[in-house]
Amino acid sequence: MFLLNAALVARREVARGMFVLSLDAPPIANSVRAGQFVNLGWSPGPLLRRPFSVYRIDGDRIEVILKAVGAGTAQLLQMKAGETISCLGPLGHGFELAPGPSSVALVSGGLGVAPMPLAARDARAAGMQVTWVHGARTADELCSEADGDEVIWATDDGSRGFAGTAVAAVPDVDLVLACGPNRMLAVAASRWPDAQVAVETYMGCGTGVCLGCAVPLVRGGYDRACKEGPVYRAADIEWAMLPSHLPYALTA
Amino acid sequence: MTLDLSVEVGGLRLRGPVLAASGTFGYGTEVPLLERRGLGAMVSKGIFLRPRAGTPPPRIVETPSGMLNAIGLQGPGVEGLIRDYAPQWAEWDFPVFVNVNGESAAEYGELAARLDGVPGVAGFEINISCPNVEQGGLYFGNDPRAAAAVTEAVRKRTDLPVWVKLTPMVTDIAVIARACEAAGADALCAVNTFVGMSIDLNARQPRLSFRTGGLSGPAIRPLAVHLAHQAARAVNIPVIGIGGIMCAEDALEFLVAGCAAVQVGTATFVNPGAIAEVHDGIATYLAEQGFASLAELPRYLPRD
Repeated sequence: MFLLNAALVARREVARGMFVLSLDAPPIANSVRAGQFVNLGWSPGPLLRRPFSVYRIDGDRIEVILKAVGAGTAQLLQMKAGETISCLGPLGHGFELAPGPSSVALVSGGLGVAPMPLAARDARAAGMQVTWVHGARTADELCSEADGDEVIWATDDGSRGFAGTAVAAVPDVDLVLACGPNRMLAVAASRWPDAQVAVETYMGCGTGVCLGCAVPLVRGGYDRACKEGPVYRAADIEWAMLPSHLPYALTA
Repeated sequence: MTLDLSVEVGGLRLRGPVLAASGTFGYGTEVPLLERRGLGAMVSKGIFLRPRAGTPPPRIVETPSGMLNAIGLQGPGVEGLIRDYAPQWAEWDFPVFVNVNGESAAEYGELAARLDGVPGVAGFEINISCPNVEQGGLYFGNDPRAAAAVTEAVRKRTDLPVWVKLTPMVTDIAVIARACEAAGADALCAVNTFVGMSIDLNARQPRLSFRTGGLSGPAIRPLAVHLAHQAARAVNIPVIGIGGIMCAEDALEFLVAGCAAVQVGTATFVNPGAIAEVHDGIATYLAEQGFASLAELPRYLPRD
């Protein structure tokens, strides 16, 4: 785990209102695993840090993806190249991508695309064929960047690719990784109990101390999205107790 | 030149006046990069006799300059604490206080008896102010007789230092402070979180599943400085100030207002190095103002 001030290097738009920020954070870039996140703080910003999955690595840079969902993310998107953002990370327990399965589907809805480029990297390194399945409400809300041997687009209104949800568009594969709104993940869990899903929760410290990011478990009790999570076996989560939508999130 | 920042708090010499507040530092084992150099003492996450699952999510929400939490004292229970954490504390170079909780005065006493003499346990912080449990907690904190009964129940079972953490949700904190002092407390911690509520306008219901939560962070600091000051004026035992301390200047406000030491909480979530920075900043201030030690810092503490 590292705490450092990272310079904002670049920003690009990848869907309507969806941006990728590139930050100079060498020790994090060199150690982060797919599904892990960074907790970002900036000045003037909100009191608490905000968690973001690491989207891609580019040399010594890490990338995060976001939309303006609140005052904090709006501030982040107004920052200029050269300004610094405090980065704490890498945090959490990411995807398990050990060799074995011959194919994997990376299934994302909206900002749930966040952990998928690194997952594609690590899945390929483990010898898997990667199917990229990405959904959004409309074509212009789809993240334009995809990284799969096969790419499937899904839109609720049918304006591009499969008409329906990303989950419904997934072909037969050995392994499913999913990230998106919790209600989407709950549907994925009923179809693939062994899927690995990255959940969204409110988060306080990001380091396991505050117990704010409680994830309800089927076996009873809670554990911490920031420490044992944010990636879980889908069938282990008590989905009915997990808030189905939050205004800011791991992916936002 | 090294400034002497050590303080005497309720019979215990601490190497510095900056302590880690309960619930914001876990059991001290969670954050590897955390700078412990400036830590005068640590107060553990609140513990009950038995394990507790805590409240359903959402448990925290940010509010202007603060945060609401309703964790519900999730924890492993006293046996888990003794097995998993106390042995580590015994190796550390700063004292660890256990934040104790119960649903009755007898339960607080039992907890103290079980922990008394366990290596690694330096003392107790009695929590009579948690707003996030259905039974006990805050109830003991806003009635002077109940506060005294809990304090006495712990006092009778241990010779270790006993601190009592007060709630701000009272009409007159001086009354509670005096009751705890008379019942044998060695020091008081002022204050715990304020009870607050935040509403989600899309769902048209509270943002927290527990409906209400404890408000912490800079939003409460002036309120907390005033309450800690009132408590310090009311008693002859030390008062440890708590509430929204983010930097050394914030801590110094509590110290000048009559506190012997301070606890830093929410700031640690934002900045894992906050405690060391506050500690160093106090030293810098004292040096700049021409004081050789914290003991020389004048306190604004007119007697009633």
